[in-house]
Amino acid sequence: MSSKPILIVGGGPAGLAAAHSLASVGQKSILVEKMDSLGGTPIHSGYAKLVPSGEWAKDAIGGMVERVTGNKFITIKTGTTVSEFSGKAGNFSVKYSQGKGNSVASVVLCTGFTHFDSINKPEWGFGTYVDVVTTTQVEQMISSGQGVRRPSNGETPKRVAILLCVGSRDRQIGREWCSKICCSVSANLAMEIREELPDCHVYIYYMDIRTYGLLETKYYWKSQEEFKVKYIKARIAEVTSDGDKIIVKGEDTLVKRPITIPFDLVVHAIGMDPNVDNMLISSIFDVDLEPNGFIDRASAYGGVGASSRTGVFVAGSATGPETIDDSIAQGQAAAFSALAIANGQLAAVE
Amino acid sequence: MAIHEKHLIRPENIKTHDNLVIDGVDVSGHWSTFIETRVVTDYNEQLEEEIAALPGGEYIHRCWQCGSCTNACTVNAINPEFNPRYWIYLIRMGMESELLRDKEIIWQCVSCNKCTYACPRDVFPEGVMKATAHWLEMKEHTAPSNSTIFDEEFTRQVVQTGKIEDGRILMNFLKNSKQPLFQDWLIEMVKQMVWNLPVKYLFGMGWATLFQPKTRSWAKTRAAIEEHIAEEKAAERAALGLDPVE
Repeated sequence: MSSKPILIVGGGPAGLAAAHSLASVGQKSILVEKMDSLGGTPIHSGYAKLVPSGEWAKDAIGGMVERVTGNKFITIKTGTTVSEFSGKAGNFSVKYSQGKGNSVASVVLCTGFTHFDSINKPEWGFGTYVDVVTTTQVEQMISSGQGVRRPSNGETPKRVAILLCVGSRDRQIGREWCSKICCSVSANLAMEIREELPDCHVYIYYMDIRTYGLLETKYYWKSQEEFKVKYIKARIAEVTSDGDKIIVKGEDTLVKRPITIPFDLVVHAIGMDPNVDNMLISSIFDVDLEPNGFIDRASAYGGVGASSRTGVFVAGSATGPETIDDSIAQGQAAAFSALAIANGQLAAVE
Repeated sequence: MAIHEKHLIRPENIKTHDNLVIDGVDVSGHWSTFIETRVVTDYNEQLEEEIAALPGGEYIHRCWQCGSCTNACTVNAINPEFNPRYWIYLIRMGMESELLRDKEIIWQCVSCNKCTYACPRDVFPEGVMKATAHWLEMKEHTAPSNSTIFDEEFTRQVVQTGKIEDGRILMNFLKNSKQPLFQDWLIEMVKQMVWNLPVKYLFGMGWATLFQPKTRSWAKTRAAIEEHIAEEKAAERAALGLDPVE
C-alpha cells in the first residue's frame, strides 16, 4: 500500500464511510472535520429516527463514528479545516488551519450541505411566530426526548401543518432543485407526531409528493393508511397569527377553494442548500461548482466520484441533495477511486 | 357593474344592497355589488372515519385522487356534477360543508361498479358512494330515499317471515313512500296478470298476501338476525356520534 495517506474532508456519513472503507483495505487516511466532533449534520443537527432505516441517528451514525475512532489507519483532525491545497494527483500538498501540513495522494470531499434558512421565506412566518418551526427543530424535539410541543407555551399541539418545499423548487429565491428527501422525512415526522400524540391531527401541504421508489409504501401510504395523516394539495400563500393560533392561508387546488385554517404548530420542511462554505472550498481545492452552487461532478461513467480536478473526488450531499444511505454509498465509491490514485493507477480514474 | 366570469361565482355569494349610502354617496343596487369570499375555515377531522365505519366506505383512505372513478362513471357522463373523486377528497379532508352542497346528487349513483374495476387502488368508489348516501340519511341531511324505503320493507319482511311476498312489499313500499296505491302501470299489470296467469298461481299469490306464510321454525333464525342487525346499527350509529337507538 502507498505510503501517502488520502485526505477526507468532512466527517459526516460520506466521509465516515470513505475513511472506514480505506481503513478496511489497510489504506491510511486523514479525516478533517471543521466541527469539534464527528458525525456531520445528522448528529450536529440532532436528527431523530433516520429515513428509511428507522434507526436513531445517534445509534446509526454514532456507530459509524465509533468504528473510525481509534482506527490505526485513520488520523482524525477535528476542529480543523484545510487552508491551502496544491500539487498534482498522487502528490498533493495540504496545509491545515492548525497543526502541521503534509502530503496526500488524493482527496475525497465530503463537505455536505447546509439546511435552508427559513428566514428567507418571510411570508411563511418563521422568525415572526415562535410556533412556526422547521423539520430540524421537530427532529430535535423528538431526539431530545422532550416530545413535540408548541414553543410558545409548551403545550402539546392539537393540529400540526407541515409545509413541503420550503427552500426547494422555488425560483423566486433561486433554489430550483428538489431536495429529494423532505417528503419522506416529513411523512416520517408526521407519523412520529401521530404516534406520540394520537389526538393531534397532522396535515401535509404539498405541490407534489416525491416519496420516490420504495419510500412510496413505507412513508406516503403508511402515513395515510395507518396514521391518518392528511395530504392537501396546496402551496401556502401566507402564514399569519391571531395571537394564539397560526393561521395558514392558501388554495386547495383539488377543490379550487381558498383555505384559511388555524394550526397550533406549523413545520417548514426545509430543503438542502449548498454548503455555505462551497465558494471557499471551490477556491481552495480548485474544483468547479455546478450552477446551483453544489460541487460539480465529472462524468458519472469514468472515475467514480470525480470532480473537475483530477485526484479530487466528491461524495454525498456536497454534490447536491442526497440521502444518508446514498451518501454512504458514494463515500465508499469515491474512496475506491482515491485508492486507485494512491496506488499509482491514475489511468483507472481518468 | 358587470361581473366577468359570473358563472364561477356562487349566486348566494353575490351581495347587493337595494338602499345603501356610504359617506354620502348613494351606492344602491348594483353599485354596491360585492362578492363574499369562498373560504374553507375548518376541517371536520372525523368525517373520513365516519364514512369508513359504514359498509362500503372501508377503503376510502387508499384514494390518491387519480380520477379513474369519475372518468369511468356512468352518471358523470350524464351529469358532470356527479364526481366521486371530488367527494372522496372532501370526505378525506373533512370538508363537510362542501360535501353537503352536493347532498341531492350523491345518492344518484346507479351502482354499475365501473369505478370498482377502474380504480387502481381498490378504493371501491361505488361502496363509498353507498356509504356516503347512507351517512347523509343517518345524519338526517337527506330524507330516506325511495330505495332506502324499499330496502327497509324488503328487509323487514325477510327478517319477520324468512320470505318475501311481492304484493305486500309493493303495497307497503308505496304506502311508506307516500305514493298512491293506484298507479296506472300497476293497475295495468294486475289486469294482465288476472287475464293471463293460471288460476292456481293467482290463488297462491292472493293467499300468501292475506296470510303471510312463514318459513318453518323461523323464530330462532329471526332472533339471531335481529340481534345481529341491532348490533351493526348500534355500531354504525356510535361511529357517527349518534344515539345508539334511532
